Amino acid sequence: MRAFGDVWRSNIFQKWVMALTGLMLVLFLIAHLTGNLLIFMGAEHMNEYGHSLRELLHGSAIWLARGGLLVAFVLHVWSAILLTRRNRAARPQKYVKTDWRTSTMASRSMALSGLLILVYVLYHLAHFTLGTVHSQYYAGQTGWEYTLANGTVVPDVYRMVIASFQEPLITTLYVLSMVLLGLHLNHAVASAFQTLGVTNRRISPLVRFLGPVLGIGVALGFCSLPLAVIAGLVH
Amino acid sequence: MNLRLHIWRQAGPDATGMLKTYDVANVSEHMSFLEMLDVLNEDLIGKGEIPIAFDHDCREGICGTCGMVINGRPHGPVAKTTVCQLHMRTFKDGDEIYIEPWRARAFPVMRDLIVDRGSFDRIMQTGGFISVNTGNAQDGNTLPISKINADHAMDAAACIGCGACVAACPNSSAMLFTAAKVGHLGALPQGQTERSTRAMNMVLQMDVEGFGACTNHLECEAACPKGISVEFIAQMNRDYVASVFGGRD
Ligand code: HEM
Ligand code: SF4
Ligand code: FES
Repeated sequence: MRAFGDVWRSNIFQKWVMALTGLMLVLFLIAHLTGNLLIFMGAEHMNEYGHSLRELLHGSAIWLARGGLLVAFVLHVWSAILLTRRNRAARPQKYVKTDWRTSTMASRSMALSGLLILVYVLYHLAHFTLGTVHSQYYAGQTGWEYTLANGTVVPDVYRMVIASFQEPLITTLYVLSMVLLGLHLNHAVASAFQTLGVTNRRISPLVRFLGPVLGIGVALGFCSLPLAVIAGLVH
Repeated sequence: MNLRLHIWRQAGPDATGMLKTYDVANVSEHMSFLEMLDVLNEDLIGKGEIPIAFDHDCREGICGTCGMVINGRPHGPVAKTTVCQLHMRTFKDGDEIYIEPWRARAFPVMRDLIVDRGSFDRIMQTGGFISVNTGNAQDGNTLPISKINADHAMDAAACIGCGACVAACPNSSAMLFTAAKVGHLGALPQGQTERSTRAMNMVLQMDVEGFGACTNHLECEAACPKGISVEFIAQMNRDYVASVFGGRD
């Protein structure tokens, strides 16, 4: 056997790390989106859902999930930066003329879309989770309590989302970031399956179809919230 | 037809190169691309200039020696065609054509359009062979191989090692070439003994040579003159990780 260090550093192994963590993040996004869409069922459902997440397994579930996500995210970004740097170094002299056949804007700018998503995620956490930016809309502040049907008093997440998206700056940043996320996923999903070697001649067309479907689906799904708020459909 | 060519000229491995412009007149549409360059070279020699260096051998699309990037596409605009089989009828009078060498850290330019593809040889030396004795020609028929496996192995064995996949890849990755070799031997019974160490060693050697990592743009498959499928890359990804976790050695 080769030393584990050799294997760990190898390009294909790092690709596996990136693909597995990327797919974990995709699964998380789908769960996150499903939760967000509860906004269309009204304040009671959304706030009750937010509360149950914080209460699950006596409050430990949310920390387990956060820990897992953090590890996945850090590994994903780590392998992405490592491989992108190696790939840049692999062609020191560029072509004067290029004429791409199959690669796309999205596939050639994964590192850029990824880094912008990273910046967005930090901002997003500071906004909705920690309340350090746009703190005037933070659901954890006094005066923003919501009383559930069963009498429990919880933070009014529903109000926070709606109040935030009534601010054009927040909505613009959000929608732009979701477009980037859609572009990232557009290439990422099929790429991950190919990296993991689960593709072959028969299922490749299906897998290549899945990327755009998930990319557009996730981006549109997340964007439906701010758009509905602006259109006055939820208030 | 008359053409204007912009060709990469570089005197040696350490010299700085640049594109130089040449006008060629009266090019016949029946010429191959390399014959067109031959004509230009005759002309340069006649004028006492140094001819353009480019690699070529069989000129019938089977040896893998030729290769240059034409208007941003390795081996030129026609799919599944080596540059020696590319005919001038694909171009038209007045065209401007950019001709550059393969670009990769692992393929250093030796001179003009010639690059050193020794990195491919070194990848082959780490695992692109079998060590079992297969006997003489007639012994080949004593080992039955299913049509499916034989076809699959042949699809991979069609690789001529030209390096267009590396040249086409935005990451200069050698995955398609290496996967074709791993997939070829891995599809046959004779290749099973060393299957796991082969995948491991060839993959690690690719990294050592400084080829990039695959990000699945699929440019390699589109540029490959033999149409090697990226399906083999998926298979090598599986074989490599299998060898990490279950490999014997
Ligand atoms: C929610 C966030 C994210 C999700 C769901 C996600 C998902 C994915 C997936 C599934 C892949 C495919 C892996 C593969 O091809 O093997 C991928 C690739 C990649 N990701 Fe992300 N990613 C996210 C954030 C980021 C961030 C923050 C970065 C930043 C630095 C990044 C950079 C990359 C790069 C460079 C690739 C490689 C592209 C390729 O192989 O074609 N991603 N991502
Ligand atoms: S895989 Fe295709 S492009 Fe790459 S070396 Fe082999 S024949 Fe050339
Ligand atoms: S010269 Fe042999 S393949 Fe072109």
